[in-house]
Amino acid sequence: MDLGLRGRKAIVTGATKGIGRGVVELLVAEGADVAFCARTADEVADAVAAIKRPDVNVFGEAVNVRDGEAYKAWLVRAVTALGGCDIFIPGVSGGAAMDSEKNWVRNFEIDMLHTVRGCEALMPHLEKSGSGSIVIIGSTNAVETFAAPMAYNAIKAGLITYAKQLSQFVGKKSVRVNAVSPGPIYFEGGAWEMIKGTQPKFYDWAIKQVPSGKLGTVEEIARVIVFIASPAASLITGANVVADNGFTKRVQL
Amino acid sequence: MPSDTPMQNGGTATGANPADELQARSKSPAFTPVPRVKAGADGRSGVLPGTPHAKEPDPELGHDIIDQRRYTSPEFMRLEWERLWTKVWLVAGRALDMPDPGDYIATEVGAESIMAVRQADGGVRAFYNVCQHRGNRLRPCGRGSAGTSQSFKCLYHHWEYNLDGSYRRIPDVDTFVQGAPPHGLTEIKCEVWGSFVWFSMNPQAPPLADYLAPMQQHLDPYHFERMVQTRDITVEWDCNWKASVDAFNESYHVQGIHPQLLWYLHDLDIQIDCYERHNRYLIPFGTLSPRVRKPNTIPDSIKSIMKAAGMDTVDYDEPIANIRRDVQKHKRATGAQLGKDYSELNDDQLTDDYHYTIFPNLSLNLHADDFWVFRQRPHATDPNKMFYDIWTYELVPQGQEWPKRAKHQTWKHGEKSIGLVLDQDAANLPNVQAGMHSRGFRGLWLGRQELRIRHFHKVIDDYLFGSGAVASGTPSGTPSGADRDDWKTRGGT
Repeated sequence: MDLGLRGRKAIVTGATKGIGRGVVELLVAEGADVAFCARTADEVADAVAAIKRPDVNVFGEAVNVRDGEAYKAWLVRAVTALGGCDIFIPGVSGGAAMDSEKNWVRNFEIDMLHTVRGCEALMPHLEKSGSGSIVIIGSTNAVETFAAPMAYNAIKAGLITYAKQLSQFVGKKSVRVNAVSPGPIYFEGGAWEMIKGTQPKFYDWAIKQVPSGKLGTVEEIARVIVFIASPAASLITGANVVADNGFTKRVQL
Repeated sequence: MPSDTPMQNGGTATGANPADELQARSKSPAFTPVPRVKAGADGRSGVLPGTPHAKEPDPELGHDIIDQRRYTSPEFMRLEWERLWTKVWLVAGRALDMPDPGDYIATEVGAESIMAVRQADGGVRAFYNVCQHRGNRLRPCGRGSAGTSQSFKCLYHHWEYNLDGSYRRIPDVDTFVQGAPPHGLTEIKCEVWGSFVWFSMNPQAPPLADYLAPMQQHLDPYHFERMVQTRDITVEWDCNWKASVDAFNESYHVQGIHPQLLWYLHDLDIQIDCYERHNRYLIPFGTLSPRVRKPNTIPDSIKSIMKAAGMDTVDYDEPIANIRRDVQKHKRATGAQLGKDYSELNDDQLTDDYHYTIFPNLSLNLHADDFWVFRQRPHATDPNKMFYDIWTYELVPQGQEWPKRAKHQTWKHGEKSIGLVLDQDAANLPNVQAGMHSRGFRGLWLGRQELRIRHFHKVIDDYLFGSGAVASGTPSGTPSGADRDDWKTRGGT
């Protein structure tokens, strides 16, 4: 099956590590041109060097997406570097924690607002694409009670609702909008690696919630995200694709 | 092959050099050294000289095996009692727990029980906790007060002693034709330092100050007297007391049994310093071990350090590697307004664990806002058992009411949790002690990270077998040049 990604132009935020990095690598492997950002300049430079190929356009720059003006300016540069935008995948998150009320502001400004700002800034380009596609990153934390009433969980739910309603709003312009909600994804340097080391009982609990006993990998979740983003998924819009290897228990009707 | 010679694992059958393969699989990770304070730029503003932070040259202690029988042999245990426990200075308890005349602390070490008593003149004296009549213990282990009568009455025949150990009343004294025993309670040496009461059963013991040197300059800047006791627990552990001291004398085991701490402290960039009989290491806290990858969020345990310092953890945008230095700066800037006087402490002491072993049996984890003492006491008769006292203390900010100290609790190995890290240590030690008895084990094979263990055993040897290395305070009566192997033939495991 050809995903139809060759020559497509994708913008991904938060892509030097983890899921975002996996998404960018897969997009490039499929022949898409990619612009991405992350917080730390040398990590972005390292990632660009590792990812770039002669036959695709790879553009990377450091930006703090919480800084709305800097972020919007970066989006403009990314569109310019690629010569347009067919796919937008806002991957940055403020992370899951319950330190203080500030977590709510942080997750709102990073998870929610950077997604909304990106969608709004890039929408003219996605409309021009003719087959524009947005994949918003949700979480199984939004669809089932998880660990603690963290801002992260509730704001991820807000993002899933936003994805659905935006899909109805822009569908007539041939822009698809979906959410992908990963379950626990284990990768080196990721949250679950640290949980395994620092909270082994909680880690074992999470493993037991997955019928096969395996947490997801970056490669596995990246395949789901890239498929949903690709023209091959032309029939899917307004969906929340839960890709969790059976971690959640609800029946989705 | 003799039947008692264990088979040695002969290595692998592959063509490559097994030693090279072992190196490739096992080498310790490279790391960038953690920034540390320097002389003249250590952040202190106090007038006292402060805790020395320069690295001492490592002593040359060789690479010999530490004999396993030191942990199991009743004969070795007997030598320890005769030449070590009854010669050194030991902590009885906290002077702050006995503020008023008649207040006392009774504590046990091996088969002995000691009573430290606050005197009418404010001083402290210590006695063997035993009635001179028929040998009854005067008071049970713990803290208490002589009460309004200001005397200690034996509960057997009601012999009664004054706070200074002299007789107050001997019922029917006229029926003892030989009179009373000559001295009243048997007094031993007793001094106070660092808010603790110290005693020595050795009449020839050097002054406490000589014995402790140079710990006073190291530890006085922490001002123990400003800290209130928050935990007071005694656990009977199924291991030799030295196995417990050893467990806290190296950081090498962190990667083995405390994996969660790798996201909390640097377990390889450890400064080890050995002094005459005491030693220490300095462990950077609030930073990552080079054994783990940098996570994308601040580990919860490091957040707890930041929160305790009053720092924001949510919007902290610096790399994790900067947190330790930023916590130091923050505490330096805000300490005074929180009633916490850090003026005698250097910047590293505001985050790091300055860990001391005061010979023979005190392990101290020192921090700016708290300190933990582990007191390891030998069992009266069994080299496979010991008593592990956990005393934790917290700084009481100036102007705040002094909270009530924690109540004493006691239990046996594994009956209750003492916190994740110490539970991990506790779970491990009975297995270590069991293995000490094995015919397949000769003794401790120590690496560079375990230098303090080697130093600890060297000082034990100085006491047991004599050495010029212990210059001041060498216990008199120690047979200089005694055969270090003699005990092995006189007792077995």
